[in-house]
Amino acid sequence: MKTNRNVALMYILLVVAQILVCNFINTGPYVFLTILPVMILCLPLAIPAVPLMLIAAVSGLAVDWLAEGIVGLNVLAAVPVAFIRNPVARLLFGKDHTDRAEGFSFRKNGFSKISAAVLICQAVFLAVYIVADCAGTRPFLFIAVRFTASLLCGYLLSLFVFNMFTSGENQ
Amino acid sequence: MSRGGNILGLCVNAAVFILLEVAALVMLSHSGPVQNLWISKGIHSVQAFLWGGAENIRNYFSLKKQNDMLAEENFRLNRLLLEYRQAAGKDIPADSLSEVSGGFRYIHASAVKVSNNKQHNYLILDKGSEDGIEVLSGVITSRGVVGIVDAVGRHYSYARSFKNSGMVVSARIGTEGPAGEMMWDGVSSDGAVLCEIPQHIPIHPGDTVYTSGFSSVFPPDIPLGVTGEATVVNGSTYNIRVRLFTDFSAIRYVTIVDNMEDSEIKELEDIYED
Repeated sequence: MKTNRNVALMYILLVVAQILVCNFINTGPYVFLTILPVMILCLPLAIPAVPLMLIAAVSGLAVDWLAEGIVGLNVLAAVPVAFIRNPVARLLFGKDHTDRAEGFSFRKNGFSKISAAVLICQAVFLAVYIVADCAGTRPFLFIAVRFTASLLCGYLLSLFVFNMFTSGENQ
Repeated sequence: MSRGGNILGLCVNAAVFILLEVAALVMLSHSGPVQNLWISKGIHSVQAFLWGGAENIRNYFSLKKQNDMLAEENFRLNRLLLEYRQAAGKDIPADSLSEVSGGFRYIHASAVKVSNNKQHNYLILDKGSEDGIEVLSGVITSRGVVGIVDAVGRHYSYARSFKNSGMVVSARIGTEGPAGEMMWDGVSSDGAVLCEIPQHIPIHPGDTVYTSGFSSVFPPDIPLGVTGEATVVNGSTYNIRVRLFTDFSAIRYVTIVDNMEDSEIKELEDIYED
């Protein structure tokens, strides 16, 4: 119970952090920093897909409402990440691991597998977000550069957030 | 969890996913004008694709109906053309043309069954006695003679195919050339033999063969095929190979021709034969 409460608290704090990042850190047109994908990835595996998607939608809506201005953009991008989270975990960490609903950590799962999971979630989120944000008004090159730059920066930030989120698992 | 449970769970997940994404798109379209335009454009593209697909499917399934309509139209035009040709040849004024041209009545029909690979082939046509079909009516297409009606039911009729040993059609080379009897060669699908052509008449390969009009079954001047190699028989007549125009394997629509003056001709023949 205590662990669940800690996860919930940490998650809410990270949503607040994401809102603050969106509001106060100006990264220019080519870089979009987000930690929503890694937050969804770090949620306990015991949570089934439907509640996970609802949590993702509510988190995205909170960020949209309190930070971004265009309501629906983060929801649109976060829900697919929640939808693919369990299949990706099953693919990378194995069925036994996901069936036991064990938590993730660098120590248990290895850096490469965690990196791959973070990259996949980040890529899905950014692809949807950037395409919907540009809405057919930007050339492909701009979208590709923005996607690559955002993925790189987001990946580094996500690894840091992941380490922080799963610090209990590492001990 | 059972396999059925897995599939059900997957369906529920997919439904919730679609629902949330649609909700996000609705929010997005109400929030940003550029996104609104983009989403509208996407919706219109999907609608156009779906409507186009539905229209294609509808068109595909209405092909038979359209084909039937075209065949009817073709039949009417062919009959009209024949009437005009006859009117031009005999100086008949166009306004005096009747429904029954040249003493023949024309009825459009579809072949519902076609036998093609035997020595005695036949066709089943979708018109019967209720449509005015009579025994010994001719069956033709614009590309030649198909057969002769042998038996008539209320709604269907049975026709002996030209590809039948013993079936003979009176034919001539060109519209004014020598006439003879033409029959199926019994071997090829488009081969026939035109017999009893006098030897003194020069024959050129590639000449068109028409119905002669001497039989009471078929009207004259229906193109049948083109002449090929000629061989002398008994030192006095030619047997000429004919390549038929009709593709018997693709017969679908036919015209049944009924000679309206057949009974009068028969009566005359009977009087003089007696």
